[in-house]
Amino acid sequence: MLEIKDLHKRFGDTVALDGVSLAAAAGEVVGFVGANGAGKTTTMRIAMGVLAADSGQIVYNGAPLGVEQRRRFGYMPSERGLYPKMKTAEQIAYFGELHGMTRAQARASAAALLEQLNLSDRAGDFVQDLSLGNQQRVQLAVSLVHDPEVLVLDEPFSGLDPIAVDVMGTALRDRAAAGAPVIFSSHQLDLIERLCDSVVIIGNGRIIASGTVEELKAKEVKQLRVSVDTDEDLTGRLPGTVTRDGDDYLVEDTDDQEVLRIAAAAGRVTHFAYDQPTIAEIFREAVTR
Amino acid sequence: MSDQTSETSRMRGLMLVAGREIRVRGLSKANIVSMIVTVVIVGILAALPSFLGGDDADEKIGLAGTGADAMQTQLDAMGGFDVTLFDSAAEAERAAEDGDVEAAVADGRVYSENGLDSAVQNQLDSAWQAASVQTNLGDAGLTDAQIAGALTVQPLESVTFGDDSGTDSITGYFTGLVISIIMFMMLMTPVQYIAMGVVEEKSSRIVEILLTSLKPWQLLGGKVIGLGVISLVNLVAMVAVGLGVASATGMLSDLPPGTASAAVSSIGWWLIAFALFGTLAGGVGSLVSRQEESGSVLTPLIMSLTLSYLGAIFLLNAPTSTFAVVLSIVPPFSGIAMPTRMAIAEVPAWQIGLSGVLLALAAAGALALGSQLYKRSVLYTGSRMKISEALRRAA
Ligand SMILES: Nc1ncnc2c1ncn2[C@@H]1O[C@H](COP(=O)(O)OP(=O)(O)OP(=O)(O)O)[C@@H](O)[C@H]1O
Ligand SMILES: [Mg+2]
Repeated sequence: MLEIKDLHKRFGDTVALDGVSLAAAAGEVVGFVGANGAGKTTTMRIAMGVLAADSGQIVYNGAPLGVEQRRRFGYMPSERGLYPKMKTAEQIAYFGELHGMTRAQARASAAALLEQLNLSDRAGDFVQDLSLGNQQRVQLAVSLVHDPEVLVLDEPFSGLDPIAVDVMGTALRDRAAAGAPVIFSSHQLDLIERLCDSVVIIGNGRIIASGTVEELKAKEVKQLRVSVDTDEDLTGRLPGTVTRDGDDYLVEDTDDQEVLRIAAAAGRVTHFAYDQPTIAEIFREAVTR
Repeated sequence: MSDQTSETSRMRGLMLVAGREIRVRGLSKANIVSMIVTVVIVGILAALPSFLGGDDADEKIGLAGTGADAMQTQLDAMGGFDVTLFDSAAEAERAAEDGDVEAAVADGRVYSENGLDSAVQNQLDSAWQAASVQTNLGDAGLTDAQIAGALTVQPLESVTFGDDSGTDSITGYFTGLVISIIMFMMLMTPVQYIAMGVVEEKSSRIVEILLTSLKPWQLLGGKVIGLGVISLVNLVAMVAVGLGVASATGMLSDLPPGTASAAVSSIGWWLIAFALFGTLAGGVGSLVSRQEESGSVLTPLIMSLTLSYLGAIFLLNAPTSTFAVVLSIVPPFSGIAMPTRMAIAEVPAWQIGLSGVLLALAAAGALALGSQLYKRSVLYTGSRMKISEALRRAA
């Protein structure tokens, strides 16, 4: 269990983080979303120890996170970085060793990852000779090479093609299935919805919403969508606040059974259900609230 | 986590970083090519004296006739002659004619192809005179002991009134010159590579991943050690090839006896000076985020290295002047100046000690300053950071 507790961070006059707390349990995939400049990168850098917080702490399995434990974490920074003039496989293995693997383990793991990422034939090439997307894949391999206990990934999907997105998604879920807490940030909300167990929304350095995907959806204001096969305009006759969305009626703040009765009397009801908000809608709602 | 395991993992991190530098930079094509080129140049330079003239090899001299034995004793005492005794003057003459020997001395005549080098001629003359005197004295009835006593002459002791600061030996001058050039090169190149490497890691942002598993001091220290090892290997290759070629061509015996110890102590001075300049280069390199800007922050370092080198060259012409004494004691100039001065002049032990201690203190200070600068600014991106600003920032 990785817990980020009450982080505060200022850069000069800018307050980047103003009491940020979030947690990822073992085996949980947490999506971290927020507008540009909301504080995602700052939070993750503090969690990985490359930036010092003004206050707050990082707790891992109940105790403050130490350097040795952090070496077993996997991190992908938002600004990607690799040695341009180092060979792909050698580079991945080097990071494995830095994270405490023996040379043989690191080499074997690097080879396996390259295979998985369809990069085996580029193992001996300099990283600078790879396409940007392939460099991204190498970056992913670097963050996974030591079989990390925890994953902290800052926008891991940006710049990846659909196949690489799938590989990355699978890798995240696999790590979580093996019991690792996983936190990643993304602006691709469909991915968040597909991959995450829970979502944390940050805005201006504060957490503005968090919970499982279902919880967040349930919290949203419910809208009843009704479609009726009739020439009659039911706007005035239905109870509650009624708006039109194409041929559909959107009804809020009322007794749904009453709505159904009136609609059924007017004609054949072809659709009658509450709209499920997407994460994107929840996000929009949360940041503009 | 016990202290011991974290201690090993600290050293391991340092060594991994150093190992990467050695693999990636030391084994790079560029480095190997430049090392081969330098080594070949050193080899050629060392072989050059024996190509030109070859007069450093022993002169082959043939002797025959009366006084040949006495002559041989004289020539052996002078050194530099390879003497062959012939049974008859005719045989000696033929050997000189065929070029088997450079010259042949028999019965008061010296035979040679085209006349002799005046230095050799003079030596042969004086050997002939001494041998003749010895023979004549023997003929006059003196015992060998009396002859030896009569011939023993104390050489003139030279007393000069002027400042004896002038170069007393041309070999000392050249040894000093070579030491200062090699020291300069062996500091300049790795220092620039360290700064470039730091900026590379910073500009490619890889430092952010590195610092999740390494401490800043491991990253900087590993880099300095790695490049230090590469330079040391280059240095050793140069010295080994230089000395190897010199001994193969018979040059080595002509070098002054202090050469080896001068070379060894230079390595010590180099290590301290490298620690000083290397860590500072890493520290100032971390102040910038782009390779193009590294030149501006490195300028003071490169300037002081160049000044040290020019100072050492100047010192060669006046090794006992106050300037030379001061330059070889004050760091960072002493790093190059002291071993250069030691190659050319007697340096009092206290000056060597003082200079070494001061340089080591300066290196320790540079180590502290360089690693603080590095630690505080390596993750900072954006415009170039001022040193004062870096030092103000909380680590
Ligand atoms: N090194 C820095 N110096 C000054 N201000 C900074 C620094 N790093 C971040 N900030 C500020 O902190 C705030 C949060 O930035 P952060 O990078 O964490 O946002 P983010 O959520 O990751 O945004 P994005 O979606 O664009 O990646 C921003 O206002 C940013 O300008
Ligand atoms: Mg970001």
